[in-house]
Amino acid sequence: MTHTEIIKTPTPASIAGGSGNSASKTVAWVASRGIFIFTAVLLVFSAIFVNGFASSVNIIDVFHRASAIGIVAIGMTFVVISANYIDLSVVAQIATSGVILMALSPTYGVLGAMAIALFFALLYGLVNGISVGFLKANAVVVTLGTTGIGAGILSLVTGGTIYYGPTGGPIDAFGDARVGPFPLSAFVLIIVAIVASIVLSRTKFGFMIRSYGSNKQATRLAGVNSGGVVVGAFVLTALAAMIAGFVLAAYSNTAVSTMSEGYDFRALAAVIIGGNSLFGGRGSIFRTFIGVIFISVLSNILVLSGFSFAWQQLVTGAVIVFAVALDALARKAEKR
Amino acid sequence: MRNSRVALVSVLAVAGLALSGCSASNGSDAGGDAGTDGGYNVYALLPQGNDQPYGTNYLKAMNAAAADMGVNLTITNAEYDSAKQANECSVAIASKPDGIILWPAAVDTIRPCLEAAKAAGIPVNASNSDVLPEDKSLVGTYTGPSNDGVGRAAAKLIGDVLGDGGGNIIIVQGLSGNSTAIDREAGFRDELAASYPNVTVIGQQPGDWAKDVALTVTSEMLTSLGEENIDAIYAVDDTMAAGAIEAMENRGIDPTTIPVVGTGNTELGQPNVLSGKQYATLFQSPVWDGENAVTYIVDAIDGKTLEPNYFMPIPEITKDNAAEYPAEW
Amino acid sequence: MSTIKLQETQTGTWNRVKSTVARRTEGRAVVLLILVIVVIAMQQPIVFNAYGVSLARVALVGLVALGLTLVVLQGELDLSVGSTLALTGVVVATIPDLGLGIIVGLITGLVIGALNAFLIVIVGVNSFIATLGTLFALRGLAFVLSDGRPVRVTDIDSALTFGRELLGPLTPRVLIFILLFIALQFFTSRMRAGREFYAVGGNRQAAIDAGIPVKLRLFTAFMLCGFVAALAGVINTLELTAADPTAGSSVLLASFAAVIIGGNLLNGGRGSLVGTMIGAFALGLMQVGLTFAGTPREVQDVLIGIILLVAITTEPNNLRALSGRVQRLTRGKANASA
Repeated sequence: MTHTEIIKTPTPASIAGGSGNSASKTVAWVASRGIFIFTAVLLVFSAIFVNGFASSVNIIDVFHRASAIGIVAIGMTFVVISANYIDLSVVAQIATSGVILMALSPTYGVLGAMAIALFFALLYGLVNGISVGFLKANAVVVTLGTTGIGAGILSLVTGGTIYYGPTGGPIDAFGDARVGPFPLSAFVLIIVAIVASIVLSRTKFGFMIRSYGSNKQATRLAGVNSGGVVVGAFVLTALAAMIAGFVLAAYSNTAVSTMSEGYDFRALAAVIIGGNSLFGGRGSIFRTFIGVIFISVLSNILVLSGFSFAWQQLVTGAVIVFAVALDALARKAEKR
Repeated sequence: MRNSRVALVSVLAVAGLALSGCSASNGSDAGGDAGTDGGYNVYALLPQGNDQPYGTNYLKAMNAAAADMGVNLTITNAEYDSAKQANECSVAIASKPDGIILWPAAVDTIRPCLEAAKAAGIPVNASNSDVLPEDKSLVGTYTGPSNDGVGRAAAKLIGDVLGDGGGNIIIVQGLSGNSTAIDREAGFRDELAASYPNVTVIGQQPGDWAKDVALTVTSEMLTSLGEENIDAIYAVDDTMAAGAIEAMENRGIDPTTIPVVGTGNTELGQPNVLSGKQYATLFQSPVWDGENAVTYIVDAIDGKTLEPNYFMPIPEITKDNAAEYPAEW
Repeated sequence: MSTIKLQETQTGTWNRVKSTVARRTEGRAVVLLILVIVVIAMQQPIVFNAYGVSLARVALVGLVALGLTLVVLQGELDLSVGSTLALTGVVVATIPDLGLGIIVGLITGLVIGALNAFLIVIVGVNSFIATLGTLFALRGLAFVLSDGRPVRVTDIDSALTFGRELLGPLTPRVLIFILLFIALQFFTSRMRAGREFYAVGGNRQAAIDAGIPVKLRLFTAFMLCGFVAALAGVINTLELTAADPTAGSSVLLASFAAVIIGGNLLNGGRGSLVGTMIGAFALGLMQVGLTFAGTPREVQDVLIGIILLVAITTEPNNLRALSGRVQRLTRGKANASA
């Protein structure tokens, strides 16, 4: 409830406000669409100045970079829009589903393994969702706890074993398949994005989650089953993380318990760069999708240009700071 | 109301801690008191364990050797966090074991641990990653691969296969900041500079020890540097070598045309070597590593005279001899 | 816990005690700490014998958690503490003169805090998002400055001296941790500026209306948080005689857990440094105990995960509300332990 108070805090700009209404509207319009403009500029810049960027082999690499992280980020958008910051446990979830797929496919078949992974994804989603939605516990600590439990058990069961599928098997074939210049995983990303987008913008659940995030108290008063909404958000995130685990495992035809390190904050960064508000109100799957494309293209051209890991980190961080600062300025302008 | 809450918290937390109690008592049984069965108590301070393929097999061999020799092992895993390892070192010293096996999370950070152990009169051996030369006097001996030597051997393999003409190569590195990765690269580059001046490193990216990351960055380096300009690839381990090979195959490049050298002779890497897709690898044995860590800490505790280093033999593995060396991890 | 006892002996009035307890936020942490202490006393008494080691473990995460608490009290967050720790460590180790390095390192922390505060207070970025950016950027800077590898301090002997026991088995880290706790506790409970942190976090609009310099307080909190994280980085570097650019990666989440277990409300306005301290002790002692017992890393992760989950989900009001719902659903007799 104090969330809304925080964003309602008068800012210097809003206090000063009132002057130049149409001009500030223009600023607001441009700034709130900043990420779309940046992404367009980045794509054009890369195509012109970065050697090899526009080649068809490179487009495949960009999509390989984008697909798994993008699917996670799209799922995470639901948690973010429901004003629950982040689901840290996606790291454990991705590895769990990837390892289950690779380790159990030989015994139970690919579909059987997927069904088992689905069970664990639902378990994660329900435990996280019920803890946060009904027991009103803090999402960060809940998911920190479930990460410890999940990753710990996975590590206990599998050790550091790398599970790899037979070359030319169905999983390997999926990982290698492409349609034109697009790997199959790009289509998975796009399908997940479309489905998630419909859920968020066209369904009653989507409406509830958006209004819940922007004003928890009012939503609760309006008789919305707020706990159920949060459970839904975490279950959707878990399903997305599961699919991301499949995609990631298929890409390299291997899975290991440490395969998804860093996916938590990287996925969140994509959601944030896309301009989704942490407090509901503004948020869409398309924004996350663009955020993912932006981050993936950025990483890609930094590697293509031969930047070291250190500079890649530094530039990525600086870009996040810049993007969110611009977003904040846009918000101020909107309020005038 | 309040009471019910406290009761609930208590019940649940007790349930959790009872579990910890169980494992704690298991642990102390294993750790036992000195003299109960005549075995030595040894702490093994490791930066990895069952979370990594190498560590998993290192641990298996270590535990087996300890069981054979009647050594009571207590094992920690700092997950490459040097501050955590420093604290585990303090814990180890406070427990007054007969000896400590230290696999440094980061070699630069372990001086205080070594000094404290020396002050407490506890012998310390380094395992897997050697201490810095200036700290060498503080450890009994070092057992394990020479990571620098592994890098040098890889440089020899690549330099020799490219011949007098030399060529341009790329490096697929391990996780950024990881000391094994740093040492292998240093040895590799030193050897190239010393013996193969015609070989030039034109690109390097971290593959994070992961096949998928290696696959992507190799493909990107092939794009930006041009496939035709790359004559060989040094992947710092076999998992990443497998990624580099797949990157080439995905682009329709025959991987035998660009020799790839890895390290490990792993379950993932050996088939590639046997089929000729990977030119060569270096066999690093977690079994040797884990066993000898225990063997020599016992010697150190017994006060035997030890050489400064016991280096693991690192055979070069190519298609011709790969079948003689079964993969261990 | 000491507060409760004090009240009891002073007034002896059960109602006073009850209302005090109701107002306090540390209950959960106290219960957890007592349980941890009881189990350790039965299973691993060495944890208390080697209390220097145990305190060092608590101080490792606790120090950063104290700084983080100041920010959380105002309803904000700082995700960049781990990266700040790493960066200042590298700064200290890179500068050959140790004294100068320490000063520059600490100033770095203040500057980072000011930068975070600037983004949050002046530009108007949400703190979670702004510090997510600095989390990446500062880690990158640490890698750039160190060339991606650990850096050993030049003056190793002075650094080694620093890491030695100063008072009994207590190292300077532990003493700094205790002193800082006392200073910050005094600041937030006895000084006006510090008490106003609660008002800023509780109801910001009301704080503005009451004439509290909210922006200044936010700047103060973030700069203190940055400073404390930098202090942790300096201490880490001196104790290890080297800086690791990957340092502190686990510190963020661990210190965060200590803050939350300590009963600090993330929305701000409620909580205390005492709570954070108790939370840090509970979690730190638990880890030391498990390490002494030789519990495998994975089992530790699972146990700590379970305890975090149980501790965070057992808010009495919510359980009551939930059990009410369950009762209504089942129309049967369900009790609170459902």
